[in-house]
Amino acid sequence: MEKNSLVIRIGGEAGFGLAAAADILAKVFVRLGYHVFSSKEYASQIRGGHNYHTLRISPRPVLADADKVDILLAFDKEALYQHLPHLSAESLILYDDKIQKEDIPSSFSSFALPVQQIGIDFREKKVDNTIFLGAAIRCLGIDIKILDEIITHFFSGKPAHIERNLHAAKKGYEIISSTKISFVSSHPSKNTSSLSFLSGNDAVSLGALKAGLNFHVQYPMTPVSGILHYLSIESTKNKSLKVVQAEDEIAVINFALGASFAGARAMTATSGGGFCLMTESLGLASMAEIPLVIIEGQRPGPSTGLPTKTEQGDLQFVLHAAPGDAPRVVLAPGDIDECYTETKRAFYLAEKYQLPVIVLLDKYQAESFKTFDLEKEELSLLLDFSQRWGIKEKVEEKELLRGMFPRYVDQNSFQRTLPGTKQGMYTCAGDEHDETGEIIEDRETRIRMMKRRMGKLNLIKAELPSNQIYGSENAELTVVVWGSTKGAALEAVEKLNREGKKFNLLQIKYMCPFLEEQTQKFLHQAKNLLLIENNYSAQLGSLIREQTGVEIKDKILRYDGKTFTVDEIYEELKKRC
Amino acid sequence: MLKEEKIMEKGETKFTFNDFARCEQPNWCPGCGDFAILASIKKALVELEVAPHQAVLVSGVGCFAKLPYWARTYGFVGLHGRGLPVAQGIKMANPQLKVIAFGGDGDGYGEGGNHFLHACRRNVNIAYFVHNNGVFGLTTGQYSPTSPKGTKSKSSPEGSIEVPINPLALALAEGATFVARAYSGHLKELIELMKQAIEHPGFAFIDILMPCVSFGRDLKYYNDKTYYLEKPFTDRGKAVDKALECEKEESYALGVFYRE
Repeated sequence: MEKNSLVIRIGGEAGFGLAAAADILAKVFVRLGYHVFSSKEYASQIRGGHNYHTLRISPRPVLADADKVDILLAFDKEALYQHLPHLSAESLILYDDKIQKEDIPSSFSSFALPVQQIGIDFREKKVDNTIFLGAAIRCLGIDIKILDEIITHFFSGKPAHIERNLHAAKKGYEIISSTKISFVSSHPSKNTSSLSFLSGNDAVSLGALKAGLNFHVQYPMTPVSGILHYLSIESTKNKSLKVVQAEDEIAVINFALGASFAGARAMTATSGGGFCLMTESLGLASMAEIPLVIIEGQRPGPSTGLPTKTEQGDLQFVLHAAPGDAPRVVLAPGDIDECYTETKRAFYLAEKYQLPVIVLLDKYQAESFKTFDLEKEELSLLLDFSQRWGIKEKVEEKELLRGMFPRYVDQNSFQRTLPGTKQGMYTCAGDEHDETGEIIEDRETRIRMMKRRMGKLNLIKAELPSNQIYGSENAELTVVVWGSTKGAALEAVEKLNREGKKFNLLQIKYMCPFLEEQTQKFLHQAKNLLLIENNYSAQLGSLIREQTGVEIKDKILRYDGKTFTVDEIYEELKKRC
Repeated sequence: MLKEEKIMEKGETKFTFNDFARCEQPNWCPGCGDFAILASIKKALVELEVAPHQAVLVSGVGCFAKLPYWARTYGFVGLHGRGLPVAQGIKMANPQLKVIAFGGDGDGYGEGGNHFLHACRRNVNIAYFVHNNGVFGLTTGQYSPTSPKGTKSKSSPEGSIEVPINPLALALAEGATFVARAYSGHLKELIELMKQAIEHPGFAFIDILMPCVSFGRDLKYYNDKTYYLEKPFTDRGKAVDKALECEKEESYALGVFYRE
C-alpha cells in the first residue's frame, strides 16, 4: 500500500514516554520535509490514566486533527480499545505483546512487539517508546539513519541516554521484516533547514524573545506552563532575560507591571483561573498606562473545570475583565504560526500605546505542535524591536509641570520616562490622576483622562491588518471562526472547494478593538453564515452581534473539552451544501 | 527647587529636603502619623544622598498609600496590598534604583499578606515600611489585622475575635534579613532606622507603629508603651522570642530586632 498522508496515534499510560515518542517521530517527518500537526490528549494526573498523541503528516500544510487513524501504536490494552473505532480496514496496529493477540480484531494487520523481552537488555531505564519508534519507522520504509539522527539530537543534553535509545530503536526496527505502508517514496524534496517543529507555547516564547522580552513572570498553570519552561531554560543562556516564578497570579502581574514601569519588556502567561486573579491589576495597567503582554491559554471552566482539555470559553471574560472602562487589546491567533506573529504584535502595541495586550490562546493551540517555517513567518510582521516606542530619554526643565514630568499629557501620542531619567519624575497612578500622575477628583481632568485612555483603541484599530478571509469569492456559505477552530474549519473548507463546492471562511483575529466596519461589510455580502465555536454560548457570535448588528443563527458549538476534527466539520458543511 | 538638574551625580552636591518637595499638600488628618513618615523618608534620602530621580516610592491603597503623591521622586501607587510585587519587579528590572515600598496594616498584612511572606523569603534588595496604626482609616474605622483581640469597632461591635498578626515574628520566621520596628512619634530614630533599611543589601522590613488620630490609638498610648532595644539580636530565634513577647505584654520594643 502506498500513501502520501498519514495519521499516527500513540496511546498508553502517562509516564511511559509517549510525548517523547511523538516528538521524535514528528521530527523524523519534518526532517523528511513533511508538514506535521501533533496534538495531545491527557488526563490531569502524572502517572497512569490514558494519554494519547496524534500525528498528522502530509505534503500539504496540516492544521488540525482528523478522525481516521492509519497507524496505532498501542502501549497497552486501553489504547487499543479507545482507538479501535478510529481505525479502518487498511490501518496498522503495532502493540505491546503483553496485549493478547485475541484482543485484536483479525481484520486489522497487526504486529506484536516483544517490548518486555527486549526491555530486559535495558534494565536501568525503560525504552518501550523507542522500541515502538524503530518498528514504526521500519513499517513505513524510512531509513533508520534519520531516526538515529533525531534521537541523538533529542538526547543531546543527556549523552548517557543516546546509546541505549539507538540500540532500542535498532531492536524495534529489526522486529519488522518489511515495509508495510510505502510512504517515503513520495516524500517532498523541500529544503528543510528553516523548518522547526513548535507548539503554540514555543511559538509564543520565540515571538516574545524576538520582540525583546526581558522580563517574564509566571505561576505554573496548564496549558501555558510550557512558556515558563521554555523561557526558564532560555534565561540560563541569555543573561538579559529574567524569569521569575512568583507566589500567585496577583503577584505575577504586579511584578510584571513594576518591571515594565521600570523599562523592561514584560510578559506573563496564565489560564482563565489565573487570569481571574489578575483582573484588578489589568485595570491598573489600563489606568496607569503600563505596557504589558498577557498570554491567556483557555481551558474549560468555570472554576478548575477540565484542566487538561480545551475550550474557547474566556473570550467575553477577557474582553470585559476589570472594573470600569479599561482599555485593553485582545488578539486571538488562529494557529501556531500566528501565535508567533501576534505575540510580536502584542509587544509592539503594548509599548507604543502603553496598555495591556492579551494574546488569547486555547489548550489545543498552546500544546499542539506543528511544522513551523520561521523565515517565512517572520515576514508576516516586520518590526525593528531594537528601538523603543514612546520612551523619553531626556527631559528639559521647561517641559515640567509643577516640578514634575507631565507623562499623561497627550491625546494622540504616548510618552513616558523610565525611573532614573533626570527630571522625568512622575507618579504612576492607579487613582485617577492629572498629567503628572497627581491624584485628582475634579470632573474636567477625569473626562480628559478617560478620553485619553479610551481613545487609544481607535488609534490601534488603524494599525491592525484586516481579518482574514479564505476560500472562494461568491461563496454559498461563509464559515466564521476564531482561534484554534480555524485549522479544522479551513481544511474542511479547502477540501470541499477542491471538490467543486463554494465555501469560504472568515477568521476573526482582532477581538478588541473590533474591526466592525470591515467585518460588517463582509457579513452583509455573505449568502449564508455558519458560526463554529468551541464554547456553549457562542461568545464570538455575541461579539459580532454587538459590534455589527448581524446575528448568525446557524451555529455549531462544542463544549465537551475537545475541539473539532477536520472530518467532523467537513461532514457538517456537506450537510449544508 | 530643581537644583539637581545641574549637579546630579551622587557626591557632587547634596540634595536638600526641598528637592523632594512637591507642590501639592498632603490631605491626611492633622496629627496623622503619615506626615512624620513622609518627612522621614525624604530626610533619609537626603542624608543618604540619593537623587530624586533615582528613588522610586511604591505603595498600595489606604491613607498611607497616597505618600508617593507628595514626594518629588518617581512614584507608583498601585492596588490594595500589591505594593511589594510591584516594588520587587521594579528593582529586578533596574537594580540601580533605590526602591522603597510602603504598606499599611490592612494593605500589607491583610490584603497583601501572601506577598509579604514571599518577599521575606525572596530577599530582593528593597526596603519595606509598613504604616501600622491597628485600624482601617480610609474606610472609616474597622478593626485591622493588627488590632488586639476584642477590639470594638464598626465591624466588630462585640469585639474582634482574631488574635493580631505579629509582623516581626512572621518576617523572622520567613527568613527576612533585616527586621525592625519604629514609631512615627520618634522622628530622629525613625530616620536612622529608615537609612539603615535602605542601605541594607536585601529585603529590609520596618513595622512602623503610628497613631490614627481619627479612629485609633493616640500618641500617648505609644509614648507609654514603647522602649528601645539595646542592640539587635544575633540569634534569629531570640529575636522571634522578643517579637512574641512584645505582642503579649502590649509593650513594644523598638529598633532593629535582627539583621544579617
